[in-house]
Amino acid sequence: MKNREQRDLFPGALEMMILRTLKRQPLHGYALAQVIKRTSNDLLQIEEGSLYPALQRLLKEELVKADWRISSTNRRVRIYKLTPAGAKHLEHEVSRFEKMLEGITRVLAPGES
Amino acid sequence: MKWMKQLFLRRRIYGDLSDEIQAHLEEKIEELVRRGMPRKEAAAAARREFGNVTLTKEDSREVWRWPSIENLLADIGYGLRMLRKSPGSTAAVVMALALGMGMNTTVFSFVNALLLRPPRRVEAPNKLVELWLHNRVASGIQGYLPLTYPDYVYYRDHNQSFTGLLAFDGDPEPVIWNRFGEGQVVQGQLVSGNFFSVLGVNAFLGRTFLPEDDQTGNPQPVVVLGHSFWQQRLGSDPRVVGKSLLLNGTNFNVIGVAPSGFAGLLVAIEPDFWVPATMIEQVTRDSGRLTNRQAYWLLAVGRLKPGVDATRARTEMNRLAGVMEQDHPDTNKNLGATVFPAALVPGPYRGYVSAFTGLLMAVFALVLLIACVNAASLLLARATGRAREMAIRSALGAGRGRLIRQMLVESTLLSGLAGSAGLVLAYWTAPLLLALKPASLPITLRIPLDWRVLAFTASVSLFTGLAFGLTPALRSAKAQVAPILKDEAQSASYRKSRLRSFLMIGEISTCVVLLVGATLCVRSLVNASSIDPGFDTQRVAVATLDPGSLGYSEAQVRSFYEQLSRHIGALPGVSSTSFVNHLPLGSAREQSSAIEGNRSAAGQKGVSVDVLRVAPGYFETMGIPLLRGRDFIPKESESSNQASAGAAIINDAMARKLWPSQDPVGRRIRLGEDTGLEIIGVVKTGKYRTLGEEPIPLVYLPRLPSRRTLVVRTSGDPTALLDAIRREIQTVDPNIAATDLETMQQYMTLPLFPARTTGLLLGASGILALVLTCIGLFGVISYIVSQRTHEIGVRMALGARRGDVLKLVFGHGLAVTSIGLAVGLAAAFGVTRFLSALLYGISPNDPVTLLSVSLGLALVALLACYLPARRAMRVDPMVALRYE
Repeated sequence: MKNREQRDLFPGALEMMILRTLKRQPLHGYALAQVIKRTSNDLLQIEEGSLYPALQRLLKEELVKADWRISSTNRRVRIYKLTPAGAKHLEHEVSRFEKMLEGITRVLAPGES
Repeated sequence: MKWMKQLFLRRRIYGDLSDEIQAHLEEKIEELVRRGMPRKEAAAAARREFGNVTLTKEDSREVWRWPSIENLLADIGYGLRMLRKSPGSTAAVVMALALGMGMNTTVFSFVNALLLRPPRRVEAPNKLVELWLHNRVASGIQGYLPLTYPDYVYYRDHNQSFTGLLAFDGDPEPVIWNRFGEGQVVQGQLVSGNFFSVLGVNAFLGRTFLPEDDQTGNPQPVVVLGHSFWQQRLGSDPRVVGKSLLLNGTNFNVIGVAPSGFAGLLVAIEPDFWVPATMIEQVTRDSGRLTNRQAYWLLAVGRLKPGVDATRARTEMNRLAGVMEQDHPDTNKNLGATVFPAALVPGPYRGYVSAFTGLLMAVFALVLLIACVNAASLLLARATGRAREMAIRSALGAGRGRLIRQMLVESTLLSGLAGSAGLVLAYWTAPLLLALKPASLPITLRIPLDWRVLAFTASVSLFTGLAFGLTPALRSAKAQVAPILKDEAQSASYRKSRLRSFLMIGEISTCVVLLVGATLCVRSLVNASSIDPGFDTQRVAVATLDPGSLGYSEAQVRSFYEQLSRHIGALPGVSSTSFVNHLPLGSAREQSSAIEGNRSAAGQKGVSVDVLRVAPGYFETMGIPLLRGRDFIPKESESSNQASAGAAIINDAMARKLWPSQDPVGRRIRLGEDTGLEIIGVVKTGKYRTLGEEPIPLVYLPRLPSRRTLVVRTSGDPTALLDAIRREIQTVDPNIAATDLETMQQYMTLPLFPARTTGLLLGASGILALVLTCIGLFGVISYIVSQRTHEIGVRMALGARRGDVLKLVFGHGLAVTSIGLAVGLAAAFGVTRFLSALLYGISPNDPVTLLSVSLGLALVALLACYLPARRAMRVDPMVALRYE
């Protein structure tokens, strides 16, 4: 049941990135995968497939919603959109993450002890 | 209801998901193609980048699930399909397990009925405790005594622990109910006035007793009817309250009907009615019992006050017992008191009941163990067969836990099926076991399959399922994927068959233990049935009568019996009739001490003897040989003149004891208070208390009480005589009814009851064990043969003869059997001594039994090996090699 990226990333990281990406613009699954890959400069090893369980979790918690549309390239795609609850959740998670990151950075910073 | 929406939308969600993933892959492929990659390569690359599609789908779906439950349901569905695929072996395993579980459930339903079930319809039964007197200098069960009436009154009025202390007569009182000028025997129970109120039982009709109904100076002839008596015998008469019942010659006023299901506080006894204990004189004609300080007849039960526990109650009862001991040193010396939690089996006897039922549980647990071993070894075989399936599932990403769970689900399915079948089995066998009970015991035992029994069977099913499924499950999940998929499975299987051989050794040794136990009990039953009771049990009918309970005078009693003798004697086929105060080998007993001659008791120790009181013709009727002297004559039994020297007949054991080398006829003995009894005859010694006893000295006296048992010898079938006897009793006096009207053969089921029950049950367990073990052995050897078909083929191709092959296969069975036998015999040697109390005339380590069981089991086991061995012998090398 454990996905590989859950071992590489910390739990909830993928969800956070999805929410952040969707905040900028609604996207369908494939595009979402490409955007995350591109913006991370391929530094994160993410299997494209692993997006889907994460998306389902977000759907279930009603942080995103999804609708079938016809895309500009004329294919039937399912567009994911952030809900207000999702926006709030993202804010909360980001601030939590920043605090955590700050803590980790301080500990890792050389010279001081 | 978000989850409900989710539940119903799920099919759509899953559809969306598949579409979406499909679209994702297509888009990726197209993009790669656009960048110039060939389509075929692009498809592979897209999949590679995406990851495991199936796993992704499964993980995504899992988000919407209650994963554990749904996976379990899927596993169960799959498991059911697997079981259906091999119906033969499934049925075999389920049947074997069902037999094991059914017998366990049956025994447990008895344990439940006797020990676990609280009295029905009683309010808060866990707050009730039984009060018993305990003789500090006596040991074991003899030390416990119920209360006398004066004791009861004292404890009732002086205790601080109970909100109320009730008492009831421990023995059901057979009472003659006169209705329409005819007598019928019904069972009554004498109870204290607060009986119903302390128990919190309200009347279904009318009212229950009040303390005023039960006053010593002014007892009221009132009666509360049992619900089923009221329904069945009085046709549910709604206006029964206020009517009266003629019981033992006294009119009792019906004041109420007990609620349905209420049957008092004793297991197996369902009184037809209850009357106040102070009415005992009218019911039993025993006037002294209420003041007698040595008649221990009342079982007392108290309801604990809030905040008082059993320990505190025990301490207080002991203090009260101390006071009683001081006030009445002659009768209450050394008598302490103790309490037990109230249950349907009285406290002091619970140990015996649980020891016996515990033994049976242990025996049938062993049978179940054998069935489990069979099931485990079948599952092991099947797991080997399914190694490929497991390897494929594991290659597709199924986790180890998932595979183990799948196997465990299948094994628990098997055991669950077996458990349900076992419940059905128990439903049928429990009444069959009850049918073993002698008809003359006035008990009605209810063996309900209630929630406790269901819970027991369910947990046994679950536990056995896990127990026999775990090893195969762990093994199959540990399997190496690659070699199995490459079809290199052959080498792995031999080790598995070694585990199965160990299981078989365990199975055979368990079987030996059970068979030894079974053989011992069956042989003991045969011994017990062939024990000579000292009288001829064929062609005799018996009936117990008590005209005195109707208040008849001595002259009326005598005239009734005289007439009855004449009437019965005139029946066709009847060769002789007589009377005895109670039949030997029953529960009643009279003991005394005999001293030779007429000397005073000073300094002389008497011989302890049993006493039976018989009418003339008893020895002839019972077929007891008269060795010397003569039988009683009517004058001797009628004489009520105590001053005249009485006559006595003694048995051979008594004669040998007092006059080892002389003729006892004409000599005199003193028996208790009776002096100068002249010995007029000597008869053959019989069995009087139990069939297993050593010879007991016994004195027959000629004078009988009003309550006696009629014995009738006929030249024809005694069963046909029973109706005629009942009619003649009616003709002589319509008010009198016989209790225990039966043939002597029926009566003899009573002393043989323990031997028959254990013989039957353990015999059944032994046969079950033998059959199951043979099936198991047959299965293992067949399996080994099938696994080694290839090897055998190669050997034969290389020149091995059939005899060599036979030896190869047979040798394995022989080794397993002999090791199992050795282990089993050692275990049996240690275990069977627990049976010694139940055995008649056979030692628990009887060498003949041990030897014959070993030989018999060895023979049967070798036969079970022979069939598959023969098949191995006929292996055609060509076919075997091509089989790969």
